[in-house]
Amino acid sequence: MPDLTKPTQAWTLTWDADWVTSVAFIGSTRKVAAGNNLGGILVWDLPEKPGGDAPKPTLRLDGHTNCVSKLAATPDGKTLLSASYDHTVRLWDTSAVPTGEDKIVLNAMAIADAERRKNNGAKAPPAMPATVGVVKASTAFDAHKEWVVNLDLTRDGKTVISGDDGGHVIIWDRESKAIQKRWQVKGWAYALALSSDKKQACVGERFPLVFDGGRHAAIKLWDTSTGEATKDLSAEFKGMHMAAAAYSLDGKVLAVGRGGESDGASGIVTLLDPANGKKIKALTPGHISGLTDLAFHPDGKHLASAGRDTVVRIWEVASGKLVSEVGKSRGGQFKDWIHAVSWSADGAWLAAADMAGAVNVWHFSK
Amino acid sequence: MNPFCRTGDHLSRRAFLKGAAVSGGGLVLPNWGGLAHAKTAAEIASKAKKRCILLWMNGGASQIDTFDMKPGRPTGGPFRPIQSKVTGLQVCEYLPKVAAVADKLAVIRSMQTHSPDHPDGIYHMHTCYKMSERTPHPELGAVIAKYNGDLGSDLPTFVRMGSCGNAGAGYLGPAHEPFSLGRDGKLGSFSTPYLADDAEKKRADLFRFVESEFAVDHKAEPFASHRTAKERAWRLLRAKAVFDISKEWPTAKERYGDSDFGRGCLMARKLVEAGVPFVEVGQENYDSHADNFVCHKANMQLLDPAYSGLLTDLSERGLLKDTLVIWMGEVGRTPGINNRAGRDHFIRAWTTVLAGGGIVGGQVYGATDADGKDVKENPVSEGDLFATIYKALGINHRAKHLTGVRPVWLTPEGSQPVKELLG
Amino acid sequence: MPRVRRLTIATVVLAALLCGASPARAGDESLRQLIDSEVKAGWAKKSIAPAPKSADSEFLRRVYLDLVGTIPTHDETVAFLADKEPKKREQLIDKLLADPRFARQQANVWDLVLFGRNPGNIDATRKRDGFKVWLTKQFAEGVGYDKLVRELLQGEQAGSELFQVQFRNQPEEATIAISRIFLGTQLGCAKCHDHPYDKWTQRDFYGMAGFFVRIVIEEATAGNVKTYTVAEKASGEVLFSGAAKDQKPGKKGDPVKPRFLGGNDLDEPPTPKDAKEPTPKAGVKLPKPPFSRKQKLADWVTATENPFFAKAVANRVWAQFMGRGIVHPVDDFQAENKPSHPELLNALAERLTANKFDLKWLIREIVNSEAYQLAGTGSVTDTLPKHFERARVRPLTAEEIVLTLRTATSYESTGKSDDQSMSPNEYFMRAFGEPMNGMGDFQGSLSEHLFWNNAEQIRVFARRKKGNLTDQLLAATDPWEKRVERLYLTVLNRPAKPTEVAKFVEFIKSDAKPDGRVEDAVWVLLTSSEFRFNH
Repeated sequence: MPDLTKPTQAWTLTWDADWVTSVAFIGSTRKVAAGNNLGGILVWDLPEKPGGDAPKPTLRLDGHTNCVSKLAATPDGKTLLSASYDHTVRLWDTSAVPTGEDKIVLNAMAIADAERRKNNGAKAPPAMPATVGVVKASTAFDAHKEWVVNLDLTRDGKTVISGDDGGHVIIWDRESKAIQKRWQVKGWAYALALSSDKKQACVGERFPLVFDGGRHAAIKLWDTSTGEATKDLSAEFKGMHMAAAAYSLDGKVLAVGRGGESDGASGIVTLLDPANGKKIKALTPGHISGLTDLAFHPDGKHLASAGRDTVVRIWEVASGKLVSEVGKSRGGQFKDWIHAVSWSADGAWLAAADMAGAVNVWHFSK
Repeated sequence: MNPFCRTGDHLSRRAFLKGAAVSGGGLVLPNWGGLAHAKTAAEIASKAKKRCILLWMNGGASQIDTFDMKPGRPTGGPFRPIQSKVTGLQVCEYLPKVAAVADKLAVIRSMQTHSPDHPDGIYHMHTCYKMSERTPHPELGAVIAKYNGDLGSDLPTFVRMGSCGNAGAGYLGPAHEPFSLGRDGKLGSFSTPYLADDAEKKRADLFRFVESEFAVDHKAEPFASHRTAKERAWRLLRAKAVFDISKEWPTAKERYGDSDFGRGCLMARKLVEAGVPFVEVGQENYDSHADNFVCHKANMQLLDPAYSGLLTDLSERGLLKDTLVIWMGEVGRTPGINNRAGRDHFIRAWTTVLAGGGIVGGQVYGATDADGKDVKENPVSEGDLFATIYKALGINHRAKHLTGVRPVWLTPEGSQPVKELLG
Repeated sequence: MPRVRRLTIATVVLAALLCGASPARAGDESLRQLIDSEVKAGWAKKSIAPAPKSADSEFLRRVYLDLVGTIPTHDETVAFLADKEPKKREQLIDKLLADPRFARQQANVWDLVLFGRNPGNIDATRKRDGFKVWLTKQFAEGVGYDKLVRELLQGEQAGSELFQVQFRNQPEEATIAISRIFLGTQLGCAKCHDHPYDKWTQRDFYGMAGFFVRIVIEEATAGNVKTYTVAEKASGEVLFSGAAKDQKPGKKGDPVKPRFLGGNDLDEPPTPKDAKEPTPKAGVKLPKPPFSRKQKLADWVTATENPFFAKAVANRVWAQFMGRGIVHPVDDFQAENKPSHPELLNALAERLTANKFDLKWLIREIVNSEAYQLAGTGSVTDTLPKHFERARVRPLTAEEIVLTLRTATSYESTGKSDDQSMSPNEYFMRAFGEPMNGMGDFQGSLSEHLFWNNAEQIRVFARRKKGNLTDQLLAATDPWEKRVERLYLTVLNRPAKPTEVAKFVEFIKSDAKPDGRVEDAVWVLLTSSEFRFNH
């Protein structure tokens, strides 16, 4: 198993058209997909070993018209799912042949920015062109009528749970898109996770008014067969907006994380026992200004958390210890976000979706 | 820079000096001449008796995410525009009901103002004067209360609830001070008598007796003012039932939306219906330096039914033509999106909306550039906006008062009502 | 010279000739006599019939409020009304001027003049107990007004510095306030353009501002307490760039030499070429500059030759008791705003100067005059009669209301006497702090009357509590008629009229349990306009 105490930065995959908001490795390959704030999706095929020039993206998946909030791939690597603010979840055949080609400049915004400030002596960086195959074919799951903010996939890749800003949580069959169960939470859904045995779901909900009595935030456990809430965890997380939830591979631990924006190192990961909702432990230090994503490591023993402070933290679940910090905060008055993280199937690679307009790829040697 | 002293405007000293009233230590300076000038204008305005509701978007609503969409632009954000009832006017997808009453709205997209922060912005957008001046300017509500209100009525003339202005009645004096309600319409402090009704009445009668005895030999003005104010307070306490909307709310909330702000809007309608000339309803909170889009999306889900519901209600009851409804906050928000997913304060180009009260609806006035970074045409200042508002309400926007020996006008010199808005 | 003076001199000379004594000088008549002769001359000129002399009870209440900021007690009232001594009013005045509460009342009045209800830099100036202690001490010790003002302008005595903290970093605001308060001159308009009809130009404004531009307010924090020091730099000039309407961005100005208002440029040694301003260090106070403009200004303002100073304060003190200034508005001396009684104003100013600016002396003269002691009754409806033909009406300040409620209801006898509640708290300030509009007219407000009607903080004075007025009235055993008379003498400091007695007795007896009724009766008098104003 890779040594998680020693991350090395493999590459920064620049793509600065807008914030990179989601990222997922595809199956057991070294292909990694990332989505951005405008609805674009690019796919890179990473070299076997880190080092050298950053690989260029090979594919662009066109279809979404608004932010791609979440990406997930089936374990067999055949299907990529993308949730979007355009009210759809799209399913992409990862082996689809592109129908066209396009030339893009990966750092176009940086160049345009330098152009605007050239009177102040700013120099444009060298362009980073790439030629991508364009895939336009996808199927859409369109039962959502609001921003789809999150989705999760069972380990066998057969069942999907997705949630939206209308508060609707839908469990559906990935192949047929048939809806198996749906319910509505109070307010908007956000954090979302489905247990491997499909029996339980964890859903964070909120109505993010400011200084208004109608403000709401809660997190609950749900029985997926009845669509009823079985445990309200709000006592532990009073009024907190929970941005991410994830079940461990053996289903014994449920990790939840507090989102932002909240003051200080408040983006704390809390480990719970999904059987009874009781708190096991809290992992500190928390992410400054809030946590954004959680991802369990394929080894079943470790957990990655990302937040609004540009740092990814790797934790040992059993002890709660901080194993390593990946990346460094960029400093400044407000830290920048890592929107999402994803592990490769062999656990040696970590990809982080960076708001600055890039995918940061880290490698862990064995 | 002192904007309210222009050499040619000063009257001769002689014209000023008439009567006098001075506080204990000879502190404040009086002038009946100015008062007489204002009284005449007030009488004229009060015959028209137009009313005004201010929907105050506390914190500063983002114009690019509401009424001045920039689809496809880097500053556009994730909201998409929808077509409103009015050709050429698009609004945010999260204001569908407002879109359906767009024929009533005059959207001013070219606000260009001068106070960028909250305390100064709130003051400036309530008084149309900068906060740094040591003159105690009155809020819009106090001015309207004075000119269009009837101090003899049972209800206060300037009512507000939720977040609101910070300037009060200023030099117009405490007779026109705001009367605050709780966000659920509950009356403010000291609104509940501790005596039972009949004891209260007996006590009031004894008071009137004592006053009439005193008035036999004591005829100076302040005594009458004191008595009048007390009677006014008693009338208000007796009229408290007007503030109770509990019976109407179950049906009304279908239209207004089940929220404090929605309830406030219904209260505003009831109060202007009962003759209150000015009501302000504040909505918290639009100051989204972080997470701008989720903040505005949630706020618009409250704003949409309440704002449209209010306009529809007023219209159905034939009140809209005599009731001006203002939608504004203290500042707009930056076209650029920061790294907290937020928008910061922006005063160079933003939006306010007027409706009713004779305003020509279904139009857009002024425009911003492609990214919303500047005003392209027809900039509107605070003074221009207030001049337009006062003109719509039948109030002389250059009416002059005195604070000490210094003349002050309701709007700064150079303020012009916008003709296109007034028709 | 006015007719009257000539007549007086002629009469005196004539009398002297007739008596064979040497002619007395015109200046031998007391100020109070001069006040009356001038005021009477004014009536004669306009054929005005003045109000009669005040009743004893009217005078008693009025002079107590004006001099010590509260009303007399029941016993003090009864004693004064029963006293047959012909000089009892003069003796009462002497007694009140010697009362320690006189200093407190003067401090309250002048604190309001110096700060208003909404002073600049309000976070620092809102709570100014230290300043009030200093100010009260000046009045208690009879410090001459010229010395008091000098201390305010120097700001070197502990407590006095807070006056200038209002104008921190705002020399223009300091210019306007100090000219208005101590020189009775409105310079505000001249900040942006030459005054429209008065003689002051922008040059005059910025000439005065030059005295304040070097002031630095230093701040030190010890625990939770902030202390301030009025320090002064050795350099720094006011830059003047022309009329406000001619301003353009980037247009800097030229330095303006300080100039005494209506007087000469300041004579100051040139700054040595190599002089450097010491760099401010945290915790280290600025040294005194070799040449202090601040001191020069303080000297000039308070000098006996200063053409504005004595008249401004004499006028202000006159207005404090008589309602209107002889120049009105009280801080607006200018060519087109002529004094209503110019000779009187001159005499007040001259004599005050000759008496070393002893305000107590001036006040004694004013309140002993017949003009001050006119009745408040009659047909004249002016709040502040222009010819002083009737006593003026003024609302009690928030400070006076709190003290008067306590006195009227024997609040101290209930055992509650912490000094905190002797000053108006936030609620009292909100209800009574600013009852005027921008033009100085009194306006009753909803918030004031809701407060009177429903607040527990008002009710606490009227509700029966052992030892207080309501309790005394309920515990007494004499007939209700007698008790109502006692009520009126205690709260309104006058005997009740028979109609009032009858009505109140009827009211109290209308309920088998009189507790509530007596409480309400007390409340009615406390909330009446007779109580609310000084008249």
